[in-house]
Amino acid sequence: MATYDGLFDTLGLRDWCDAEASDGPMSMADLMARTQGGDEAAGTPLRDLPFPSLDALHDACAAIPQSRALTKGLETGFLDIRDSLRFVVDPLTQPLSWALENMLWVMTETPWWVMFPVLLLITWAVGRSWKVVGFVALVIAGLAFVDHYDVAMQTLAIIFVCAFICVLFGVPIGIAMSRSDRLQGVLTPVLDMLQTLPPFVYLIPLIFLFSVTEPKLYGIAVILYAIVPVVRLTNLGIRLVDPDVIEAADAFGMTKSQKLFGVQIPLALPNIMAGVNQTIMMSLAMVVIASMVSAPGLGILVLRGIRNLELGVGLVAGLGIVVLAIALDRVTKASLARIDASQSSR
Amino acid sequence: MTDKTIKVSIRHLFKIFGPDPETALAAVREGKSKDDLLEETGHVLGLQDINVDMKEGEITVIMGLSGSGKSTLIRHLNRLIEPTAGEVLVNDEDVLAYSDSQLRQLRRERMSMVFQKFALLPHRTVLENAGMALLTRGIKREEADREAQKWIDRVGLSGNGEQYPHQLSGGMQQRVGIARALASNSDIMLMDEAFSALDPLIRTDMQDLLLELQKELQKTIVFITHDLDEALKLADHLVILKDGAVIQQGEPQQILLNPSDPYIEDFVADINRARVLRVRSIMAKDKPDGQVVGEVAPDDNLESVIALADGAMGSVCNVTVQGETIGYVSMVEIVRALVPRRVGEAA
Repeated sequence: MATYDGLFDTLGLRDWCDAEASDGPMSMADLMARTQGGDEAAGTPLRDLPFPSLDALHDACAAIPQSRALTKGLETGFLDIRDSLRFVVDPLTQPLSWALENMLWVMTETPWWVMFPVLLLITWAVGRSWKVVGFVALVIAGLAFVDHYDVAMQTLAIIFVCAFICVLFGVPIGIAMSRSDRLQGVLTPVLDMLQTLPPFVYLIPLIFLFSVTEPKLYGIAVILYAIVPVVRLTNLGIRLVDPDVIEAADAFGMTKSQKLFGVQIPLALPNIMAGVNQTIMMSLAMVVIASMVSAPGLGILVLRGIRNLELGVGLVAGLGIVVLAIALDRVTKASLARIDASQSSR
Repeated sequence: MTDKTIKVSIRHLFKIFGPDPETALAAVREGKSKDDLLEETGHVLGLQDINVDMKEGEITVIMGLSGSGKSTLIRHLNRLIEPTAGEVLVNDEDVLAYSDSQLRQLRRERMSMVFQKFALLPHRTVLENAGMALLTRGIKREEADREAQKWIDRVGLSGNGEQYPHQLSGGMQQRVGIARALASNSDIMLMDEAFSALDPLIRTDMQDLLLELQKELQKTIVFITHDLDEALKLADHLVILKDGAVIQQGEPQQILLNPSDPYIEDFVADINRARVLRVRSIMAKDKPDGQVVGEVAPDDNLESVIALADGAMGSVCNVTVQGETIGYVSMVEIVRALVPRRVGEAA
């Protein structure tokens, strides 16, 4: 006798309930109830009244599914569409795998005495600041000195590829959002979800979709997680462009694309660069978690530290990630400052 | 001045802001007032039945207090705002019938604009800003730079071409704004409170600059202001706007001498009339009694005549153009003109 029996009886649904009755697998709770000979539930005191959840209602009426049917349904649903999904997504994301594999190969196989100056040159090109170049040199040299050069390069390779793809897709999406309020209304909750979903959760469906040996598995997880800030800040940056300036552009007969490339994007650039900075930081965070699905790099060592309780290994790798993060942050901030200086706000 | 052709003409222009302007327009045409419309339907009557003719080569000043619809009105000329009803004719063509590309061509080549808040591109140099209209049109960089430099020199910013707008003072920024409008070589210039954000001395400088340029270039200028002194100084044709309607328009001197509405009387009450009124507005054809003390030009203001006559009440001045006397002005007339006339009194 379950609590909500009376409800179904008064509603006249008893026949419907019993007709659907089936012997589903017994849950632990059922088993416990049976062993306790629990038919005394007839007079449940008010303070023990269960919430009318699926499980509680199932007890009273067998036609109502149990909660576990939901998780089970999601799983079978996903497995059912998996093949067709894979058929579409697999070729689409194949370039990502190639890009990651090639970048990893280039950055680890190039001799350090070539890679080192190349990285410093990139730093100089982006930041134009000797201080930042010096700092980056120090960071790479430090990591190499404690024999973490290879793993650091792997981490950097993944970040470069993923952040590049984030910008490649994120900026146009942000521009499209800034031009259409409706698109912004649709995409904002999606972005909110991507940003708040625990990073581990990205990995679960991806593991079902791709084999764990494929780099795109972690590539997609990193990109989904890290693309949010660049989309948001591009959208925001363009929406924040001074309406007076836009009006002037209109008054002098600029076309939509002249306005976009000549006025809106240049003026939104500081915000877009702030988004790129955030995107890079978030890919670094995700690349560590992605090491659980075979992403190479410093994350592997952190994982080893946790799994085998190797305190030293975990700490050194963790600090390695920190200095790498600081270096990446300084470089992007330096380029941001450079842009800001050339067009300080009015 | 009637021989000049009409360049821009606004006919029965209405603008109503709100979700359903068409229905509101019908109500307004049946005589509903602005306040009633707002209260009953939530629509704002921005402009009602505006009719203004702007002649070629003249400065038409549209004056009104904030909220009178003057900025809305000027934006109808290049369709930054779409009207609810009415016509805007430029060279006898209806701008409202223009396609997108025709409209773009109008904005690029025939109508330039100067803004209250300058609205320069902050990431471009002064030179690039001045050449903006030309670059937008697709003219080659070198040519655009040459043209832009010419106008930068003309507005007195010769050495500042490579600077960015934020490195300049407000007055200098607005000079760039004017250079940008002039470089487009359009024959119509819209100036939306162009000098209102500047401090008084610089504003006077800019007004003088504009008048000096105008003498040479003879553009058709539509100038918006809330400052009566500025309006009287610049205007060939003055339009006074209140609550979205034209309450008086005409030659500024005539408006000053014959205000048609108590609102305008209040407006002109604080003006230094001796400095604003010109001899030509009050001179008489026949020689009045009195002693002739000197000769004045028709465009001299009364202040200078009073100074010439040394304040002596009986004196008369000959008004002469190139040595030929075209009329007379007596001290008595001058003093009479200095007292504001009330509506209803004989002009």
